[in-house]
Amino acid sequence: MLIYILKRLLIAVPLIFGVLTLTFFITRLAPGDPAAFFIQPGISPNVAEQIRAQYGLNDPVPIQYVKWLANVLQGDFGRSFSRAQQPVFDVIAQALPITVTIAGLTLIANFTFGILVGIVSAVRQNTFLDRFLTVTALFFYSMPEFWFALMMIILFALKFPLFPASGLNEIGAEGSSPIEFVLDRLWHLVLPVTVLSINGAAGIARYVRGSMLEVIRQDYIRTARAKGLPENRVIFKHALRNALLPVITLMGSSLPFIFSGALFIEVIFAFPGMGRVTVDAIFARDYPLIIANTFVSGSLIVLGNLFADVLYAVADPRIKL
Amino acid sequence: MINICTKRVAALCQFAACLMLALLALSSCSRRDGSHRLAVKGGGAMDSTLVIAMLGDADYLNPLLGSTVTSSNIIGLIYPSLLQSEFDTTTGLMNYMALEKKLREVTPAQGKKDPKGALAKSWQMSKDQQTITYILRNDVFWNDGKRVVSGDFKFSYQLYGSPAIASTRQQYLAELIGADKGKVDFDRAILTPDDTTLVFKFYKPVPEHLALFHTSLTPLPSHQWKNVKLDEFRHSPLNLEPLGAGPYRLKSWQQQQEIVLASSRSSNLPKPGTIPQITFRVVPDYTVRLAQLQTGAVDVVEGIKPEDFSALLKANRQIEIKTVGLRVYDYVGWSNIDQNEYHKSGKVRPHPLFGSARVRLALTEAIDREAIIDGYLKEYGVICNTDISPSLKWACNERLVPHPFDPARATSLLKAEGWLPGPDGILQKQGRKFSFSLYTNAGNQRRNYASVIIQQNLRSIGIDCKLEVQESNVFFENLQQRKLDAWLAGWSIGLEIDPLDVWGSDLNKSRFNFTGYQNPRIDALCELAKQKMDPTGARAYWLEYQEILHRDQPITFLYWMKETQGFSRRIEGEELNISGTFYNIDDWRLRPSANVAL
Repeated sequence: MLIYILKRLLIAVPLIFGVLTLTFFITRLAPGDPAAFFIQPGISPNVAEQIRAQYGLNDPVPIQYVKWLANVLQGDFGRSFSRAQQPVFDVIAQALPITVTIAGLTLIANFTFGILVGIVSAVRQNTFLDRFLTVTALFFYSMPEFWFALMMIILFALKFPLFPASGLNEIGAEGSSPIEFVLDRLWHLVLPVTVLSINGAAGIARYVRGSMLEVIRQDYIRTARAKGLPENRVIFKHALRNALLPVITLMGSSLPFIFSGALFIEVIFAFPGMGRVTVDAIFARDYPLIIANTFVSGSLIVLGNLFADVLYAVADPRIKL
Repeated sequence: MINICTKRVAALCQFAACLMLALLALSSCSRRDGSHRLAVKGGGAMDSTLVIAMLGDADYLNPLLGSTVTSSNIIGLIYPSLLQSEFDTTTGLMNYMALEKKLREVTPAQGKKDPKGALAKSWQMSKDQQTITYILRNDVFWNDGKRVVSGDFKFSYQLYGSPAIASTRQQYLAELIGADKGKVDFDRAILTPDDTTLVFKFYKPVPEHLALFHTSLTPLPSHQWKNVKLDEFRHSPLNLEPLGAGPYRLKSWQQQQEIVLASSRSSNLPKPGTIPQITFRVVPDYTVRLAQLQTGAVDVVEGIKPEDFSALLKANRQIEIKTVGLRVYDYVGWSNIDQNEYHKSGKVRPHPLFGSARVRLALTEAIDREAIIDGYLKEYGVICNTDISPSLKWACNERLVPHPFDPARATSLLKAEGWLPGPDGILQKQGRKFSFSLYTNAGNQRRNYASVIIQQNLRSIGIDCKLEVQESNVFFENLQQRKLDAWLAGWSIGLEIDPLDVWGSDLNKSRFNFTGYQNPRIDALCELAKQKMDPTGARAYWLEYQEILHRDQPITFLYWMKETQGFSRRIEGEELNISGTFYNIDDWRLRPSANVAL
C-alpha cells in the first residue's frame, strides 16, 4: 500500500503543476487589470504604471511565467497584490483556522446527523417517519444556502434575538476569561454551522439511506437475523459497516471543502475565511493569491481522493491497493 | 450487545466533542493576543465603544498607501493633520483652518470645525503665489513621545513623490518646483529652516486654496520610517503599527474582521477622542449590516437603500437616517465618436447613432428621469443637469432648466435627424436600425432599476435597447478602452472642480473621456478657471461650461443621489458633512445604554 501511495503522490506532482500553469495563463489572459483600482480621476496616470511595474506585469506573459516558475520552484508563491503585499501563504494562514473550525464542526455534524437519519429512514422504509425524513431532507437539500442563512438570521437574530447575526466574537470579548471567550465564539458559530450542516446532512442522509437499503436486502443480513442476532447488532454491526463504504468517498471529497471554505456563509456571517479570500482575490485580479489558493485546493482534492482510496482498503479487506 | 454499542457511541461522542474543542481552541488561539485585551468588559463594552459597520477592510493604515474609504476614515483619526478642512454648505466652498488663521472667516452656521486639530499655527502665501510658509506648533508629539517637526513633512513628501512607492497622492506634488520637468526637486521645493517652519515652493503661481489643499498631505514620523528601504515600504511590518498623533491610536487590527481604535490620552490635536473606543467591523453583506443596525450590534451603517428605510425605522425607533450630498450622480454614456474608426485609424468621426447632439438631446428627453427617482430614490434623488453639483452653490448654474420628459419632442428631433420608423416599428436611417446595447456593471440594484425604465422609454419611441451586465472590472476596462457604445455608470465628484480629465478634447490625455466628446471651448473654460487665483472669480466660466454641457448632452445626466446613513440615536454630537460622514467623529458622544429605551 505504501508503494501505491507513493506512486499516487508522484503522479500528483505533474498534475498539480499542470493545474497551476493553466491557472497562471487563464488569470493573466482573462480581462481585467490588477491596477484598475488606481485608475481614477485625481490619481496620477503614473501610479497604475508604477504599480504594474512593482507587480512585474509589464513583462510579456511568457517571461512572467518563467520568472514565476523560478520562484515557485523555490517555494516562493509571491506576495498578494490586494492585501498589503503580505506573502500569500501568510494570508492563507490567517484565513485557514477560521475555515477549518467552521468546516470541521460542520462535517462532524453533517456525518453524525446524516448517518443517523439515513439509517432510521432505511430501517423504517416506507413508513410515515421515512417519508417525513425523506421530504424534509429533500427540502433542506434543495434550499440555497445563502437564502437559508438569511432566513435563519431574520428568524434567530432579528425576530427572536437568540444568536448574533455575524462576526466571530462580541465586542469586548477579548477582555473576558478564556472559557467565556470560547463560549462566545461557540455562540457565534451556532447559526452558520447549523445552516451548513442541515444542508449537508440532508445530502448524506440520502446516500446512507440508499446504500443501507441495498445492504439490508443481502443474504448475509438475512442469515444474521436467522441465527437470532438482535436487530441492533444486525443493523449497526453487520449492515452499517458495509453501507458506509460510499460515505467514505464523500468524506474524501469533503477534505477540500474543509480548507477552501464556504463562500456564501463566510460573506453573510462576516467570517474572514478561505472562501472570501479566494473570491476577493478573483475580483481584485490578485494573481499570486489566486494561484496559491488553487495550489491549496488542488493539492487537497488530490490528497482527498487518495485518502478515500486508502480508507476503502482499510474498511473493506476485499479491496487491495 | 447493546452495552458494546452504547460504549462505542459514547466513545464516538467523546471523540467528536474533543475534536470540536480542539478546533475551537485552534481558531481562538489564532486570534487571541493578550497584549490587545480590551480595557472594558462584557455588557459595559458597548457603552464605551462605538461600532461602525464597514463594507470592506482597510488596505493600509499608512497615509501614503491607504486607498480605501475605510483606510482614509481611520488614517484621519490616527495621524496629525497640518490643517483642518471643512465644506461650507452655504457657499459650497472648502475652507482651510490653521490654529490662528482661516482661509475664509465664517459664521458658526457655516462651519463648526474646531481649528485646534490643526498642526499648523498659521501660514503665509507669498505675493507671487509661488511660496507658502507654514508655522507649526511646537507642542505636538507622536505617540512615542517624539515631537512632530517640519522635517517629518519633508521626509514624507519625498516618499509621496517616489515612483518606487507609487503613492496614489503623488498628483498633489504636481505644482512643486521641478514637477514641470518631470521630477520634483525636493531640495528647492520644500525647505525646513527650523523644526517649526515649513516652506513649499511652486514652479508657477498657485491659487491659495489649491496650495493649502495640496500641501496638507498627512505626514509619517520620519524617525520611525527613515531606515525602511523603498522597495520594502509596502510590506514593512511598520504598516501594521501606525504611529500617529491624532485623537485616536490603533489598538488592534484583525484583518478582514475589525479595527479597534482607542482614544489617545496624550493627544492635543485637538484632544483625546471623546468616545473611549471605536470599532470598525467588516460586514460584507448588506442585509446583515442592516440586521446588525436593527439589533443594535452596530451603531453606524453607511449607504442604506431608500427601500429599506421604513422597515428599519419601524423595527427600531432608536435608529435615524441622515443624509448628506450631493456628490454622486449616475448617467447614461453615449459614445460621441465612432470608436471602431478611432481604434483603426485614430481619426475622430461622429458615432453613427449618437454622434449628433440633437440625437443625444432626443434620448435625454425620451428618458423619464423623474420616474426613476420616484420609483427608487424618492426624496433622496435630484435631477442632474451637469456634473457640477447643486451643493457647490458658488459654481452651480441654477438657471438651467432640466430637459423635460417629452417623448413627442424626442420623436420629432429624431425625425429631423432622419430617423424614421421601419416596418418593425424600430427607427431606421439609411438602412441602419437604431439598435444598441446598454452596458452596466453587475451587482448595482439602482442601475438595474434605471436601465429597465430607460429600455422601456426608448422602446416606446422606436429605439431598440438591449441590456447587458458585465463584471465591474471588465466593464471598467471596456470603458477605458472606449469599446462600449452606450453604458450606465456614475461618478463621485471631487470638491475642487477639475473636469478636464472627463471632457478634455485630447483623447489620449483625458483618460476618463470615455465618450470621446470634444469641444475646444470646454477646454478653454477649464484652463481659464484654473488660472483664477480666487475660485469664485471663475464662476462665470463654470456657468458657461454648464450651459454648453446642457446643450450638447455628451451624456444623459440622470440624477444626483443623497448618501443615506443609518445612525443609532445613542450617538450625540454628530455633524454630517459632504466632505465625509465621520468628519467630526472625535467630538461624537455615546449616551449610556440605561438611557436608551427600545
